[in-house]
Amino acid sequence: MEGCCGLRVGQKVPDFKIETFDPEVGGFGEICSEDLRKKGSWTALFFYPADFTFV
Amino acid sequence: MITVSTDTKFVHLAWQMDEPMLKNVKYPMGSDPTGKLSKTFGVYDEESGLSQRGVFIINPEGVLVSSEVNHIDIGRNSDELLRKLQANIYKSSHPEEVCPAKWHPGEKTMRPAPEFVGRAGEAYVQQEALRKR
Repeated sequence: MEGCCGLRVGQKVPDFKIETFDPEVGGFGEICSEDLRKKGSWTALFFYPADFTFV
Repeated sequence: MITVSTDTKFVHLAWQMDEPMLKNVKYPMGSDPTGKLSKTFGVYDEESGLSQRGVFIINPEGVLVSSEVNHIDIGRNSDELLRKLQANIYKSSHPEEVCPAKWHPGEKTMRPAPEFVGRAGEAYVQQEALRKR
């Protein structure tokens, strides 16, 4: 999907996979949409511009 | 809860270790260096290569149920995010009810019915009055 519009409420989120740093375990990991569905989790994805910023 | 920026996981680590305010962070910090995930949600800024301040709630079936994007200089309200998450969770097990403005868990919901059409405010006040007795 192109950046012009993005997803709308009610649409299925395409599969994704991202690398993570997990402070709770103090290590790197990976999160994918399939695992979240299997676990039956509600997910909040919280985007922000950059680390070391202020807001 | 997963936070996402276009920083790498290594920068996330450095930031979390360095910034005292992030000492108690429990959520995974996601990395989207290509902007692919940000583009999916329409929050990738091509000019800066950074993500806008968007927050999205996804239900267990993988469907987007809530979407909010703020100006880059304006912070969000975690209470409101939690409220929307709670309302969506409630709604998923009570599909025939609606959560009115500023609804919080435990408060009155409404059931749309023909007699309330054009009288939503009135119906809500009546239901509230009954509840407070």
